[in-house]
Amino acid sequence: MSTLETLQNILVKEFKRSPEQLRPEATLADVGIDSLDLVDLIFKIEDQFGLKVKDDVPRSLVTIADVATYIDQLLANKAAEPATVAATNRPP
Amino acid sequence: MTLRVAVTGLGVIAPLGNSLEELFSSLRAGRSGIRALPAPCSETPGSSVGATVETPTCARIPETRLRMLDRVSYLALVAAVQAVEDSGIEFERENRERCGVAVGTGMGGAATTDDGYHTLYAERSDRIKPFTVIAAMTNAAAAWIGLEYALTGANLTYSTACSSSAVAVGEAAAKIRAGEADVMIAGGAEAPLTRGVLRAWDAMRTLAHPDKSDPGTSCRPFSMTRSGLVLGEGAAFLVLESWEHARRRGARIHAALSGYGLATDVAHITRPTVLGQTRAMRAALQSAGLSPDDIDYINAHGTATLQNDAVETSAIKEVFGERAYRIPISSTKSMHGHLLGAAGALELLICIGSLQRGWVPPTMHLDRPDPACDLDYVAGAARAVIPLRIALSNSFAFGGTNAVLAVEKV
Repeated sequence: MSTLETLQNILVKEFKRSPEQLRPEATLADVGIDSLDLVDLIFKIEDQFGLKVKDDVPRSLVTIADVATYIDQLLANKAAEPATVAATNRPP
Repeated sequence: MTLRVAVTGLGVIAPLGNSLEELFSSLRAGRSGIRALPAPCSETPGSSVGATVETPTCARIPETRLRMLDRVSYLALVAAVQAVEDSGIEFERENRERCGVAVGTGMGGAATTDDGYHTLYAERSDRIKPFTVIAAMTNAAAAWIGLEYALTGANLTYSTACSSSAVAVGEAAAKIRAGEADVMIAGGAEAPLTRGVLRAWDAMRTLAHPDKSDPGTSCRPFSMTRSGLVLGEGAAFLVLESWEHARRRGARIHAALSGYGLATDVAHITRPTVLGQTRAMRAALQSAGLSPDDIDYINAHGTATLQNDAVETSAIKEVFGERAYRIPISSTKSMHGHLLGAAGALELLICIGSLQRGWVPPTMHLDRPDPACDLDYVAGAARAVIPLRIALSNSFAFGGTNAVLAVEKV
């Protein structure tokens, strides 16, 4: 399942949105996700994708596709992380 | 000037039914809403029974909102919607700055708090749901009701333990009488049947020893065999209006809320006093311009704790003298359990429904009366009462806030 599909699933299951609303180009405002809901959505995304969002959520997230792209970025960053950790943990 | 406010709407979600009709048919039959609770609540005897509500549905509340609501707010919202619909009021036609909400709740969003702590401490997770604050905050129920009808007047939450919703109703009425509001949605809600809350109450040794063969009979107010209270969940709401306002819009008036008395015990954090309860009942009579001879029925606080029932009996004797023996008194907690912050509103609704029907509900499971509790508690069966025009509802609380409401038939 693609990131977008997983995200759409969360919005259907947890946020009770109808699947027809959830076109990639639909804005979060279109589907009634306000700033408070977005905090909750990030929480669910962390669960679903095994992520940890430490930084503030970028304001540039406007559409559902934007959120999916953002998740992909986080996943890519996470994949890059273990190497960094290993590097810093290397004994002197 | 007496406190005479019109009660134009009633709504209830309770262990004995999710409408006034269902509630009264259960009260009439002496049915119990108290039952055995499943694991993990059942881990200690005291926490193994509770008075539960059948979760209602409500078309008005969008599914998208449910994840933000603790059970206490959901029950409150459904009962408040029921009361508003019963009143026939259309808030779109009202000056909403003069309409408000007053809610009483003791524990607020207890399940959310419990879940949050469980996640953090037991599951050792480092994250808690982002809606924990919104769902758990004590004023959430009042806020959601205000939002639902866009009421921009007062939005208040009272938390005085077991008298919370009696205080909420009394204060809302006082606001109307003072000319500060035309309409108030007032009542209470409680959802305390979580493992943590049940265990906390059990630790105080205030909960009844459950009757294993028949859990429904575990709460026995005024009985020799009483052993404590049984916690219950639910919500009860009233629509209160100034008399002129109700008349002007041609509303059906269920009853007049005519008295509200408040008095505080300062002897002890939990132990009730005859003096405090006496003063609260007298204050309610005085604010209604009534004398003890006018009272036809008392819905007692009657928790079935050793202390309360004996002290309340003495206080009623102190206020009513010889007449105390001739007033029918019941503790409906024997059937619906103790709804803590919602108890006062629920029991006021029961008083109003009784005035409308001409009979009063019984105190159940009172086969062996305590000699220290020797008044007429309407043991075992509902009773027609003539005349039945004016009723008192007693609510006394840990922390000492005693609140008494008087209602009159119209």
